[in-house]
Amino acid sequence: MLSAQGIGFQRSGRWLFRKLDLNLYPGDFLALVGPSGVGKSTLLSCLCGTLEPTEGSVTVHLSKENSVPPKNVRRHFGIVYQELQLTPNADLLTNVLCGRLGRYHSLRTLFGFPKKLRQEAYQLLCELGVGENPRKWASHMSGGEKQRIAVARALFQEPELYFADEPVSSLDAYYAGRVLGLLRQEADEKTKPVICVLHNAEHIQRFADLALSLNPNDPEAHKIRRIRPSEKEPAL
Amino acid sequence: MSPESPNSRKADSRLPETPWYQRLNLLNTTLLIFLLAVVFSGTQIEGNERDLDVWQNLGRFLADFFPPDLSVVGQTGAALLETVEIAILATFFAIGLSLVIGLGAAQTIAPKWLVVTMRMLLNVIRTIPSLIWAVIAVAAMGANALAGVVALTLYSIGYLGKFFSEAFESVDMKVARSLRGIGADPLQAFQYGIWPHAKPLIWSHSIWMLEYNIRSASIIGYVGAGGLGLQLHAYQEFHQWDRFATVLICILCVVTLLDLLSERIRRRITRRGSPNRPISE
Repeated sequence: MLSAQGIGFQRSGRWLFRKLDLNLYPGDFLALVGPSGVGKSTLLSCLCGTLEPTEGSVTVHLSKENSVPPKNVRRHFGIVYQELQLTPNADLLTNVLCGRLGRYHSLRTLFGFPKKLRQEAYQLLCELGVGENPRKWASHMSGGEKQRIAVARALFQEPELYFADEPVSSLDAYYAGRVLGLLRQEADEKTKPVICVLHNAEHIQRFADLALSLNPNDPEAHKIRRIRPSEKEPAL
Repeated sequence: MSPESPNSRKADSRLPETPWYQRLNLLNTTLLIFLLAVVFSGTQIEGNERDLDVWQNLGRFLADFFPPDLSVVGQTGAALLETVEIAILATFFAIGLSLVIGLGAAQTIAPKWLVVTMRMLLNVIRTIPSLIWAVIAVAAMGANALAGVVALTLYSIGYLGKFFSEAFESVDMKVARSLRGIGADPLQAFQYGIWPHAKPLIWSHSIWMLEYNIRSASIIGYVGAGGLGLQLHAYQEFHQWDRFATVLICILCVVTLLDLLSERIRRRITRRGSPNRPISE
């Protein structure tokens, strides 16, 4: 479903990673791990097509498309950015509803979203514990609440692949488990691959199938380790 | 004594001297240029050489204003209403046109050739004072209130267009880009990614412009563009300063009221719109 062949990324003359091969299959939950500044977010950006790798190539094979570079099919990706990128002066409900903008013509959304969609989005906000005041502006929420809204927006989008950059960094243990549980559920029940930057060893052990660790001292010494046994093909 | 000991570190910690030229940043340099310009201007401007008793002249002139002739309040009220109507309509049309021009003048949204063209247009519009716009409009449309509306609309576009473009430029474009990334079309990315952030600023500028236009609408009547100005002009021509004072008092009341109201509204909406507003509020 997602394949990377010999990708590498160089920044300011320094290679963050090189010669990285990866094959991700439907339902895989891949955790990107490593110390801060090692290049996990950069690798995630290369995989989802927001950054072009310095060397190598990434291709995505979606159900209705041939293998194409990720930037051509980014509208099918649910991305939780590290900076979240919510609309600060829009309410929580609208922020979640924005996940579905790609499915409607602008004339349909010019005066708001259909009631059914609003109800669905509200349900999701409630599931993530931020449904108390859906008309509050995103800018008035705490860091953890904003993070859950960003996750809700990605889930509401119903994408074919998930990319999440530290989606639980500001969450307490309960909501971190809840968010990662929902992403795990998407991988298990809807066979959607999830690629997630994670730091917590317990979360990696509990939710991920695979862990790709980058080495700060050697850009070629990355390692993929299988955490859960799988009947699918090996990732590397 | 070891090199790590606190005493040795203290002896080495000397505040480095900053050379004078390093203090000449943009702020200090422009401030210095401004002060030099003040000194230069002060030596160039000259008053009347005649020996005049300024205070006596001023006192005699102002004495004619009192007591204000309140018999013209009714007449002034009707003209005041027309002035407010001119200002409201002009602000409304200016908002609509400035939104389009402001989008074209925003560097983060429009292509460079359009930004340069729109900014040039706004500069030209701003160069012409409201009274000259009124003269142009009266020449084209005759002496009536509609000429006032047209004149103030054009005048306001010069300012609102600039303010709106700056409001659009202050928006973090990452949000709109991420919406485009998930398949939103340009209109949706604008409506859901840019507009919510720019809206409070745009409305705040619009209210300020309305308030400003009420003041301006009182003046443009001097050249026949409707409103209170016509009355002011007539009283001035016939030296009816007591009636002139009544009109000024009426303008002062309306402007003060509007100033109080608009200040409150603008402060509220820009604070509500600020992403840095504390969560506890």
